[in-house]
Amino acid sequence: MKEENRDTTHFGYKTIESNQKESLVADVFHSVAAKYDIMNDFMSFGIHRLWKRQTIACSGVRKGHRVLDLAGGTGDLTAKFSQLVGETGQVILGDINDSMLKVGRDKLRDLGLVNNIEYVQMNAQALPFPDNSIDVITIAFGLRNVTDKDEALRSMYRVLKPGGRLLVLEFSKTDNEALSKLYDFYSFNILPTMGKLVANDSESYRYLAESIRMHPDQDTLKNMMENAGFEQASYQNFTGGIVALHRGFKY
Amino acid sequence: MWISVLTAVTEQIVNRLITLEPSLRQDLRDAEHRVLAVTLTDLNLSCALHYNGDHCFVYGNYLDSADCHITTALDTVSELKDPSQLTRLIRANKLDLQGDIHLAQAYSKAFSNLKIDWAEHVSRYLGDAGAQHLVNTIGQGKSRAQKHCETFEDIFTQLCQDELNVTVHPLELEQFKSQTRALSQHLSALEQRINALD
Ligand SMILES: C[S@@+](CC[C@H](N)C(=O)[O-])C[C@H]1O[C@@H](n2cnc3c(N)ncnc32)[C@H](O)[C@@H]1O
Repeated sequence: MKEENRDTTHFGYKTIESNQKESLVADVFHSVAAKYDIMNDFMSFGIHRLWKRQTIACSGVRKGHRVLDLAGGTGDLTAKFSQLVGETGQVILGDINDSMLKVGRDKLRDLGLVNNIEYVQMNAQALPFPDNSIDVITIAFGLRNVTDKDEALRSMYRVLKPGGRLLVLEFSKTDNEALSKLYDFYSFNILPTMGKLVANDSESYRYLAESIRMHPDQDTLKNMMENAGFEQASYQNFTGGIVALHRGFKY
Repeated sequence: MWISVLTAVTEQIVNRLITLEPSLRQDLRDAEHRVLAVTLTDLNLSCALHYNGDHCFVYGNYLDSADCHITTALDTVSELKDPSQLTRLIRANKLDLQGDIHLAQAYSKAFSNLKIDWAEHVSRYLGDAGAQHLVNTIGQGKSRAQKHCETFEDIFTQLCQDELNVTVHPLELEQFKSQTRALSQHLSALEQRINALD
């Protein structure tokens, strides 16, 4: 048996005890929730919308599907899925953080999307659904915040229906040296300053930059998905590999 | 990434048309919640259209199964405006179609039926007389408009090819520049005409 207090994990570049990570991550997202959407557009120059578009194009979501937008935060993907699954389908916006869920719920209500969306507070490591009950799961910019990623992937595999698929959109590793230098400069110098100016919170944005660097690269994540049981795992790089979309199926 | 920009812009345009032209909604009824995929062989590119009864989603790099899947070359696409051409193109081996041909026909018919009453839409901003005048003026300059379209088409084709080639040849850049110059001249002429209406 693991001894809890010897079990460590990363929080950005810091090594901390595993049982601390959840509450530290929670603090970050409680703190950024209100300004999350504005900062997202601002920091990525709006490019996150294109990454999300491509995620939707690869999702295979159809009318009547039951979709889980995990770590869905303010619900960008949920909004699109809600329109695609129609009145016979269902989208569950799942997040561990109630501040993010609340911002998401308000935003989607304002967009008039009310009929087929459920908001559920949940931990990706222990999904509150029966086996084989979901058609498509997406987790966008969420997996790197999860303490035990392997356990979370196994949990996602368990609840997916046979024939279902998982899409992981996440920051990854670019192998272009010039781009990588530029990106490092941007992440560690410009980003925290912007975080300070716009959201008055440079620490959270420093965590963002550090957590991105600690996240597994493309092939490691693909292996992790395969180890969790996913088949035909593959990925495509966006923006030179700064972001990657992984896809895996359960048969 | 350029493909995502292109599909995002296309999606905006298609949905603008859907709100401007109620008949489109009617014509696309048979396409509701079904996916039409188009693979352009020369560009090695697959896109898809997914209409949900209200909004049309345009996907780039589409890899999934579709209710109807068309495989063809970029220059054949413009011939698809005429639904009766579909079977001829298939017979001539210029187009491969898998799945439900009715879905392709629904889209083809919907867009070929498109006759937007610009006067009506513009009248909201300029008043009836102004709008009619503007529409007539534009109507007279139809050949000019056609030329604009051709220039746009050239630029679009060029852009798609650039996306494939990654680097732009200096000659292509020159050609692009001169086309852009021509286009901006056309636009300022049009602007002057619109100003004259005030
Ligand atoms: C960067 S946001 C991404 C939000 C949204 N998916 C997007 O792409 O805009 C990350 C989200 O992951 C959530 N999160 C972190 N750890 C989680 C966990 N263990 N289970 C579920 N959600 C988690 C956070 O609360 C936060 O809302």
